Amino acid sequence: MLLTVFMYLAAAAFAGFSLYKVYLFAQNPLNNRWELYPVPGELGTRGSYGGSYYEEAEWWARPRQVSHTGVYREMLKESLFMRNLFVNRRKHWRLSYAMHLGIYLLVFFTFLLLAGAITELSGLRLTTLTGAGNHPWARLVYFATSVTGACGASLTAFGSASLLFSRVLDGTLRKYTDFDEYFNLCFILAAAVSGLIVWSTDPGFNYGREVVTAMLTFAPIRGGTALTVHILLFGALLIYIPRTKMSHYIGKYFAYHKVLWDNEPNLSGSVMEEKVRKSLEYIPQDRWSAPHVNSAGRQDSL
Amino acid sequence: MDSLKPQDITRPLSDQLISLDKFMPLPAPYDKPGMEPGPSPLKEAWKDNHCTTLDGIIGNDRLTRPGTKEEEERFVKNFLSGMDKLFSKETNSGFLTPFLLAFEYCAKCDACSEACHIFKASGEKEVYRPIFRSEALRKLYRRYKKGGGLAARFTGGDMEINLEAVLRLGELAYRCNLCRRCAQNCPLGLDNSLIAREIRALFSMEMGIAPTSLHERGTLLQLKTGSSTGMKRKAFSNIIEFIEEEIADRTGKMYKIPVDKKGADILLIHNAGEFLSWPDNPAAFAILFEEAGLNWTMSSELAGYDAVNYGIWYDDVQAQKIALAQRRAARELGVRRIVIGECGHAHRAAAVSSDRLAAGADNIPRESSFPILRDIVRSGAVKFDPLRNNFPVTLHDPCNIVRSMGVVMPQRQILKAICPQFREMTPHGVNNYCCGGGGGFSVMREMNFSEWKMKVAARMKFKQILDAFQDTIQDPVIPKYVCAPCSNCKGAIRDMLDFYQATAKFNVQYAGIVELMVNAMVIFDRPYFEWLQEGWAERKGI
Repeated sequence: MLLTVFMYLAAAAFAGFSLYKVYLFAQNPLNNRWELYPVPGELGTRGSYGGSYYEEAEWWARPRQVSHTGVYREMLKESLFMRNLFVNRRKHWRLSYAMHLGIYLLVFFTFLLLAGAITELSGLRLTTLTGAGNHPWARLVYFATSVTGACGASLTAFGSASLLFSRVLDGTLRKYTDFDEYFNLCFILAAAVSGLIVWSTDPGFNYGREVVTAMLTFAPIRGGTALTVHILLFGALLIYIPRTKMSHYIGKYFAYHKVLWDNEPNLSGSVMEEKVRKSLEYIPQDRWSAPHVNSAGRQDSL
Repeated sequence: MDSLKPQDITRPLSDQLISLDKFMPLPAPYDKPGMEPGPSPLKEAWKDNHCTTLDGIIGNDRLTRPGTKEEEERFVKNFLSGMDKLFSKETNSGFLTPFLLAFEYCAKCDACSEACHIFKASGEKEVYRPIFRSEALRKLYRRYKKGGGLAARFTGGDMEINLEAVLRLGELAYRCNLCRRCAQNCPLGLDNSLIAREIRALFSMEMGIAPTSLHERGTLLQLKTGSSTGMKRKAFSNIIEFIEEEIADRTGKMYKIPVDKKGADILLIHNAGEFLSWPDNPAAFAILFEEAGLNWTMSSELAGYDAVNYGIWYDDVQAQKIALAQRRAARELGVRRIVIGECGHAHRAAAVSSDRLAAGADNIPRESSFPILRDIVRSGAVKFDPLRNNFPVTLHDPCNIVRSMGVVMPQRQILKAICPQFREMTPHGVNNYCCGGGGGFSVMREMNFSEWKMKVAARMKFKQILDAFQDTIQDPVIPKYVCAPCSNCKGAIRDMLDFYQATAKFNVQYAGIVELMVNAMVIFDRPYFEWLQEGWAERKGI
């Protein structure tokens, strides 16, 4: 039962710490505009060549239009394919993308485990003594789970191991890599390898469904040493990730949406102007010390 | 490969971290020995008072060595206190989010280095790698602000602070043009140039240390006299009269430049450096705006006749004061909009950086002059003859106008319409390289900094210019024109062409975009450029 409780705690910690981090960034004061073009919310070809509404005279008198499609398209390119790293650092991308693609597959794998567990709890068996069940849904879930789980764990293990080696072997990267960054990669590698070890004795990932089923029914997780070690590593990783820079799934959202792609103008009478007005009313409780920083006007950042 | 690592920033006084010897090669004709001026030796006297232990260059002339042990301790203590304030909502509200993101999430993939023209042009000197500076600051922060225990060391807080580290960081903040090309390459969207800027802000706003050219002779002078050039209202009026006379002499037509015209549609603000160094530029604006029949004015109020705002490079308080002074000059006149002339950082300061600074009556729309100029060409309000600009022309993209503001096409649409031999640099648009004058470098000329600018910071742009003109560069009879629609870029390109003697030897000329437009205007019977006027009368049979 301890393992079940631990997994509840790990999942809750991952969600809780991640949300807390989001909350902290969201609570920051309205920042100055620091956009960087291309901004994909710009209409038409502007979004690709890097133009903006400033390319029109009296832009402020025209209706404000944002291409949400452009934003989502760029978001998907960046999230799913890590486009910027692909374009600018191809060698590193191969290794990093292997790991990230592995993680994406494992996220999908987790949902498939959940689907499988719910299916079995509903009375439809996914497996028979000889392998996958005969029902089409059962076969689909069973094989999709097997493929995503095996590929995900393998890619994650390969990616994290190769990133680790490249950081050790590449003189420049080595100089800038701190102990925690090696540790993070080792941690991911250990969790992935322990998963592969468990999988080697159970290619259909039945153990995974049993864990999820146990969590859904608040039942004890039964497993051998290998599974216990894997669960402990995986759970600890879930707790650890949001506390570290590996939470860049949050950082990247804010970096793009609230900084680089945020070119929302402060138009007279707009919602933004109201936000600006409120921000200007705030009187800072501390100030910089240089002699030219006097008491007149707002003293915090522009 | 350079063996230096961020921890080496704490090395003792006796060690200069790098020497500038091998640089990125330049294309023909600068690929031959002797084409490039050699380095000047470092003056011994400078070493005693300034920080020359980074790279033997002094960019921040006000960053002087403390005289006593007590002063040294206070200096380091003030730095640490300022570092705290960078992370506080109370003192750094406007940049807290982008700064924290850049500070916390760097994955150390090194994609930024390939984008940095200073790193590449220097021959890949380690101290100029964009993450070198950021990593040094991170290590100090984690060591001194995260308790310095095992957990802090685990995340890189393994560097002890000393005077030399603080001095070198203060200098290193002025080895970045703040062009933000590195941020464009970053897969996580993080900005190392912002960290450089924040270090500058810390030194200025907490320790009162900023280069003389930016602070005393920059923002302080602007707030006192109305312009960073020191030009007062009376001098401005005299210059306007002088420009009117110059236009009449040059074109044979008299124009009255409107000043302090209440209720005008447009308040046009130039970088005041134009009046002193390139008066042809504001003169060309006046000709075009008058010929197009625009309802415009200039202002003689404090800060109303100088669009510059050096504060955006190093000091938020100064930036704020100047931006507000400019808005108030516009408000006094009751104009509908502020239009910025050919000045990149002024574009960004007015339209973008200060956008969330004012509400209500001070929230006056600001826009670039380029779309207005493009519309003048498109509308046919002014007639142009492109054949008058029938020489090779290339365009420099000011980082602040393209990458940070998204004004990319209007200037191209103008040049394509009026310059038959227009060719792009590679790369261009939002992927351009800085001219080497960005982030304040254009006006910073203290000690040996100018030489560093030309040999390192401006090197990539010089390479791009040579590449763009490879077909004609060796023929001094053919004029080659670098269109630099920004005062500071123009200053950097002027200095570059002078340093490498590219104008004298190869007839590479430079100026803005409005000069090209006026040069092509059919109503004038002579060229606007002086370098085209030579021999013009003979050619015309006058």
